[in-house]
Amino acid sequence: MTNTSRNNVSKDHDHGRTDIKIIGFGNKFRSDDGIGIRIIKELEKLEFFKDIEIIDGGTSGTDLIFWIKNCEKIIIIDAIDTGQNTGDVINIKVDDIEEFIKKDYKSLSLHDLNLADVLKLIKALKINTRISIIGIKPKSIDFGDKLSPEIERKIPKIISEIKKETSR
Amino acid sequence: MVKNLNVEISPISRVEGHGDLIINIKDKKVEQLTFRIPESPRFFEAMMVGRKYDEPSHIASRICGICSVAHTCASIKATEKALGITPSPQTISLRKLVYHHENVQSNVLHVYFLAAPDFFGVGSVIPLVETHPDVVNIALRTKKMANDMVRIIGGRAIHPIRIVVGGFTKLPTEEEMVKMKEMLQASYQDFEKTLSVLKTLNIPAFERETEYISISDAVDYALYDGSIKSSDGWEIDDQNYLDKIKEKIVRHSTSKHCWASRDAFMVGALARFNNNYDKLTDNARKYAEELGLKAPCYNPFMNNIAQFVEIIHSVDDSIRLIDEILEEGIDKDKAMVDIVPKAGRGVGVVEAPRGLLIHDYTYNDRGRVEKANMIIPTGMNYANIEKDMDALIPTVIDKSEDEIKLSCEMLIRAYDPCISCSTHFLNVKLINK
Repeated sequence: MTNTSRNNVSKDHDHGRTDIKIIGFGNKFRSDDGIGIRIIKELEKLEFFKDIEIIDGGTSGTDLIFWIKNCEKIIIIDAIDTGQNTGDVINIKVDDIEEFIKKDYKSLSLHDLNLADVLKLIKALKINTRISIIGIKPKSIDFGDKLSPEIERKIPKIISEIKKETSR
Repeated sequence: MVKNLNVEISPISRVEGHGDLIINIKDKKVEQLTFRIPESPRFFEAMMVGRKYDEPSHIASRICGICSVAHTCASIKATEKALGITPSPQTISLRKLVYHHENVQSNVLHVYFLAAPDFFGVGSVIPLVETHPDVVNIALRTKKMANDMVRIIGGRAIHPIRIVVGGFTKLPTEEEMVKMKEMLQASYQDFEKTLSVLKTLNIPAFERETEYISISDAVDYALYDGSIKSSDGWEIDDQNYLDKIKEKIVRHSTSKHCWASRDAFMVGALARFNNNYDKLTDNARKYAEELGLKAPCYNPFMNNIAQFVEIIHSVDDSIRLIDEILEEGIDKDKAMVDIVPKAGRGVGVVEAPRGLLIHDYTYNDRGRVEKANMIIPTGMNYANIEKDMDALIPTVIDKSEDEIKLSCEMLIRAYDPCISCSTHFLNVKLINK
């Protein structure tokens, strides 16, 4: 699994809190699709998150199952289109996976099994981890190594949402 | 039975990325067959230009989450060739070891999660949790084992960071090597169970002989390094790939199609199996025999069985590599070699899980990329997929529309296309059967 702890060394239990993990997904060379990875880099700099395992999930999909196991709560950061306006940040609680899947949200990053399939699989495997997805609707997912200015501006808001979510 | 059919499968599910398949059948004859790939701009090639020699492999690693070790290694090999760098034998052994496990990661995902649902006659992996929980659990255990192998050696399970031009930034410890060997040994019981399940699969009895191209080595079942070999009887140095492998633009796709001795060729697990069967371990050959896979095999649906056989080979060969590395002892002084920038061109050719992957870089005397070209395996297979489809449809023409669609989708999935390496969307359209 792609696991970026601060010294870039992967360990299973190298953080204080074991109840919660934060994972960013995306391709950092597809413009706003890289928001999840960019946020992870920002969180790594912040003292607030020093006890929490934060993971650069890249463009993996099925591996979410391994991260989610043995964890009470997981916060996923991703570019996601739920029909909201471009740049709008949303916080989805996946209490009911069936309901989430029915809504046909378009997550843009998981490239092997898509997010809906991975969530179905998680449910079928009876993994009961609480899941929150903090997403932003991208402006562009064309090839490029920079976020759109509209998305870049929302980084503080996304981090603020993550902070709130870690204490819920 | 239908006479006319107009089908668009859009998008094809359970393949990496997206694309279109359009089939137009009139009076039971195929009038139009288009496997259309809307390829994105050659962004990554352009992105390499101007980069210092230590950057391209990290960029390449992000091209795809499934083939990140392959892109990393192809990139590193191209750079090392261009700059005249010879890594230590220890580095080569560790690269071969990590390389095996990206192949395992990818093959597991494809065999168990993406292709198996077809052969079990269910729509996706989800129903398998209820009907075949053993299979799903084996898949997850094997994927986790391969993830851990790549993480221990590469620093991350995907997008590895320790594998760099000149060697490794950090080496695994001997304790970690022993742990990895134990993990590998523990995996065999799962393969025995998988074997009994795979034997029950109903694999279509379709055959079409084509040209099979892979890398090849005098000793290894080549994945990390070798010359380029064709089943049509030629073998060339990997630096000279342009002598044989040609690319052309086709009207119906913005993706280039490739050809060599004929108008199409196949790359991937089945091509490797056909060309390098005698380099497989005895154990892997035994599994192949049990599953009815013999070289040469001309059934593209058997690509999935070849992928499973490769998992066995990779586990067997990894244990051998670990024993060798431990016997030599891990030497930190051999982790990196000195790098002196210079002008030159280098080609890095590896076997990505889906087949031949080529990175071709030209550096200036300051050690910065002046030109980059990449050819991905899925791009090489496009033309062959179309040829297979052309031959397959007449054999299923008397079936229902749904069955024809499924056969076509299964064929495409059997190739395990990783369209996300080069493109974004895949759809399938069947017109006027």
